[in-house]
Amino acid sequence: MALNRRTFLKRTAAASALFSILPREVMGKMGGANNFVAPSDQLTRGIIGVGGIGRSSHHFASDQSCRLVALCDVDQKHLDSAVAAAKKNFNETVKAYHDFRELIHDPNVDIVHIATPPHWHGLMSVEAANAGKDIFCEKPMTRTIGEGKRVEEAVKRNARVFRLNTWFRFKDTFYGLGTDVKPLKKLVDSGLLGWPLKVRISGATGFTWKFYWVGKENLEVQPIPKELDYDLWLGPAPYKPYNIHRTHQTFRGYFDYDGGGLADMGQHYIDPVQYILGKDDTFPVKVEIDAPQQHPDAVGIWRTITYTYEDGCQIILEGEGFESEGKVPYIEGPKGKVYKGFECTIPNVQELINEMPDPEPRNTDFLECVRNRRQFALNESNGHHSATIVNMGVCALRLNRTLHFDPKTQLFIGDEAANLLVNQPMRGEWGKMI
Amino acid sequence: MKKTLNILLLAVLMLTVTATPAFAQDGRQRTTQTIVQDALALMPLQTQADFNREMEDLAKAAPQSVEILAGMLQPTEKATNNLLEYAINGVTNYASANAKYKQAVLDGLRAAAPKAPDQYVRQFLQSQIRLLAGDEKPIEFVQHAGAAPYAQAYDNLKALGPNAGPAIVKTLKSKDRALRMQALKFATANGLVTDELAGKAVGMYKKQTEEGKADIICWLGDNKVESQKPFLHKVLAQGGQPAVAAIEALGKIGGEDAATALIAQLGGDNQQEAFSALLSFRGDLSGQVTEALKVTTGQQQNRLLSLASLRRIKSAAPVVFDLAKDNPAARKALSGVVGKEDINKVAGLLDAAAGEEMSDYQKALSASIKSLDAKEQYQAVSAEMKKAANKERFYPILASTNTNESVEELQKIGSQAAIKALLRSTNLKAAAPLLNAAKTGDNNALNGYINLMGNYQKNADARYDGLNTAMQLARSDEQKRVILSFLGSTPTRNAFLLAGKYLDDKNLGYDAAVAEKNIINKTTEDIEYEVVKENLTKAMALYKAHGTADDGYAVDELKKIISELKPSPVYELSDEEKAQGFELLFDGTNLDNFVGNKVGYVPINGCINVTANYGNESNLYTKKEYRDFIFRFEFCFLRPGVNNGVGIRTPMGVDAAYEGMCECQILDHDAPMYAGLREYQVHGSVYGVIPAKRIKHKPRVEPGRDPCSGQPHHRNRER
Repeated sequence: MALNRRTFLKRTAAASALFSILPREVMGKMGGANNFVAPSDQLTRGIIGVGGIGRSSHHFASDQSCRLVALCDVDQKHLDSAVAAAKKNFNETVKAYHDFRELIHDPNVDIVHIATPPHWHGLMSVEAANAGKDIFCEKPMTRTIGEGKRVEEAVKRNARVFRLNTWFRFKDTFYGLGTDVKPLKKLVDSGLLGWPLKVRISGATGFTWKFYWVGKENLEVQPIPKELDYDLWLGPAPYKPYNIHRTHQTFRGYFDYDGGGLADMGQHYIDPVQYILGKDDTFPVKVEIDAPQQHPDAVGIWRTITYTYEDGCQIILEGEGFESEGKVPYIEGPKGKVYKGFECTIPNVQELINEMPDPEPRNTDFLECVRNRRQFALNESNGHHSATIVNMGVCALRLNRTLHFDPKTQLFIGDEAANLLVNQPMRGEWGKMI
Repeated sequence: MKKTLNILLLAVLMLTVTATPAFAQDGRQRTTQTIVQDALALMPLQTQADFNREMEDLAKAAPQSVEILAGMLQPTEKATNNLLEYAINGVTNYASANAKYKQAVLDGLRAAAPKAPDQYVRQFLQSQIRLLAGDEKPIEFVQHAGAAPYAQAYDNLKALGPNAGPAIVKTLKSKDRALRMQALKFATANGLVTDELAGKAVGMYKKQTEEGKADIICWLGDNKVESQKPFLHKVLAQGGQPAVAAIEALGKIGGEDAATALIAQLGGDNQQEAFSALLSFRGDLSGQVTEALKVTTGQQQNRLLSLASLRRIKSAAPVVFDLAKDNPAARKALSGVVGKEDINKVAGLLDAAAGEEMSDYQKALSASIKSLDAKEQYQAVSAEMKKAANKERFYPILASTNTNESVEELQKIGSQAAIKALLRSTNLKAAAPLLNAAKTGDNNALNGYINLMGNYQKNADARYDGLNTAMQLARSDEQKRVILSFLGSTPTRNAFLLAGKYLDDKNLGYDAAVAEKNIINKTTEDIEYEVVKENLTKAMALYKAHGTADDGYAVDELKKIISELKPSPVYELSDEEKAQGFELLFDGTNLDNFVGNKVGYVPINGCINVTANYGNESNLYTKKEYRDFIFRFEFCFLRPGVNNGVGIRTPMGVDAAYEGMCECQILDHDAPMYAGLREYQVHGSVYGVIPAKRIKHKPRVEPGRDPCSGQPHHRNRER
């Protein structure tokens, strides 16, 4: 076996143990941008998908602690432009790949960053885990519940570190809510609101379901652009006649690749709620839908989606018709309500919160997790759980009926059609990969 | 490449011909085989016309055509089936939109599915059947190999299930950190961590590297293993990397002994870790922290002060006050420990403070009044201020009570310091003094005014007025940008017109475009068709140039809105009216036949709109004078309580009801504000002269509803 970078890293582990007696702060400072990092301590990263989020300034980055070494895209224009930008911005001559499998199996890549449309996330994550790579995956984690289950399994089996990229459960004010998660978590943990709780993710509580991310029915057939490998762009998705609206950016409006604002933004909004409610290791048992019947291909709008947990807690998504203002509580319990901007019916709540201990610390530095093989704060397991909430909603939406879910088997109860949506077939050879 | 593929398909085709009895012929005398062959030669299709033609042919020839296509699908190992899948998918989609072909296509798929050469082809055909019928069986998935040795180890642990304990302990011997972590995580995730397993894992501790030791200790903490606390204390005493992990673990497990140990660490090398652990420590720390404050010094004491402050340990207040005399850290900590009982004490300190102490005591005073309601806060601060020698030090705290009284008091003082303090107020009454200061060139006051008015939610028209004033005073692009963003949430015609003026600004164009899109989506007011069209067209171009993912959707959205805009109607007299001698005063587009107040009265989309918000209140008059006449018009109320009238034979610039011949009242007299009307004041009366028979108005047209049908609508556009 050739000595690749990874085995080299392992073999030199004994030597680097020398550093480990240094205090952590000193180690941390060594990773700073102005300090030299030995190449053997540097991590490397390859990005798959450089047409959208993969080219955002936050992700399209390279520094001493983690170098960008490879890029992949099936649109030659996107790829060429990204390769040029890597040279210009970071003076890196990156490897350019057309087929993501080659990037994943490139021995110079430690971390695979998956920034494609969602219909690829499951396949690529499993492939990367099986290849022994750590994974940074954009939201939503997967497009189906079955794929998510397989990703969780593959990451665990292969002892990988997986980060799902949404972050509101550990930092930042999220959307129009006007507060970050910490005080909400403290409030809920304190029991001051009582139990069970109802959470409303609604236009009125500061979230938008982006109903302009809907698909078009009966798209006309268009010629496939020369620069695009449409076949590989579709991958596991059905080979449907090309129309530009199916692909770049507007892919979100089609169930084959995503599922509108619900599927694409849902995990951003719902994952923090799962954390606040302390439901990282269970699933809702029921999902109810109020929506017009959906087209099988193009995603449409919906009014409400209501999830219920076994203990009576509910997450209510309010869509079309709920955009207007009006005083709607974000979290509602038998003993109190909390609104946008952390306005609360409990008097002097901010002071009560301040008196309480902070939530338990979590690992929120992904590169640190990769180096120390720690589980990231939002990982294959709780990430799969919140992605499943989203995907349960998509199933109910497509079937337009109430569904009951078994958290143990991760299947719907007594509804074969719904379970078909849990495990969806993949086109051709892609079915073999997952 | 494509050519070879076609040849390959043809070769497969030749083989299939003999096997499938498909010799039915179509209109062009082609057999089904030929139809399939012709269609495949054109895949993937490039235009809608080609697609419709070929799919029509294939669908017409179903079920045989579908069976032939499906029969050509190769085992996935051997070949790629792309073009065949395209064709089958195409005909499925076509049939789902053309009901007459649905059954035949379904029959073809159903006949082919059982003959599929492998699982993947079968899955594909099932998915097509599902598209048309929605009743196919679930699909089985296969487990694939992973990277050795991890996958193997994981599968072993999984097979052992609840008995995986010994295997997990054994794995801890491995030199591979990832493998050890996998085993530890497995135990955590599967609820296998018992005191016994923890004990055995600790038994492996000595043989580990520093990293390995830290991993085991973190794991004990994650699982809150109480029984290993004595061990963790020992590790903590030994120092090094495992000690850092032990701090984290003890913090998670908790208990009085843990708190004591962590507090003891606050002066040492790992004080940062100990401090974080204490911030999230479950349990009451007040007794220990208060006592420790009395006996510690230096850095350890300062850390304790921060902790007392951040965790709001009120019982520490007396000690902290004591220390505040000489220790700046204690002064800063005061704001976390004081309560309303300390108001007087803090106020005294603030009055006597020097230099940078002042802001610490201001913060402490703010904190001490927090538990009072606004009025009590005002009274408390105002009383302390009266007693104080350095009154201006109390202004900001007074302002932050947001009470009317506080604003009035500061306004009366009127000094620069008092106005500066008003920047802290969210009370709308602060707007006037801030505006005055802004007019004299005070930039901060202008920023304060913009924020105050922009966040005023009660009345969109008042918000607009404030923002309009601010826009005239704004100097920097940054100020204008903030104003534009507030205008975007002010869904009125005026806001649309004002933001529209910035669409051509090279720095602010995009911000104006965002505002225009937000306004047009929310407004229920009528805005002139021509203006809307022009502004939205400009906005669309600006979004296009900006070019992020969401901008693309905004372009689509604006395109749709623009395409649905309806030009103003142009009215003409009917032949009958012409014959009767009527003249047209208003054709829906202009006020050419009128004189007087053309600011308040505006032709918008076929109506003459008037609202008090458009400016002055004087009247609109016909240009010509008429002798005897019949005046025909229609009206509607868009808000409750509308009051207007038709004046007859009146001089200009005076009140028609009193100084003209008369005014015919037009009044929403059903509004509650008109409960006490006299009979000669009701709608239709010759005001003050001839009472009209009181009618009940039809339900008022709500904003966003069509005046004729009462249906929801968007002004200027259909939904």
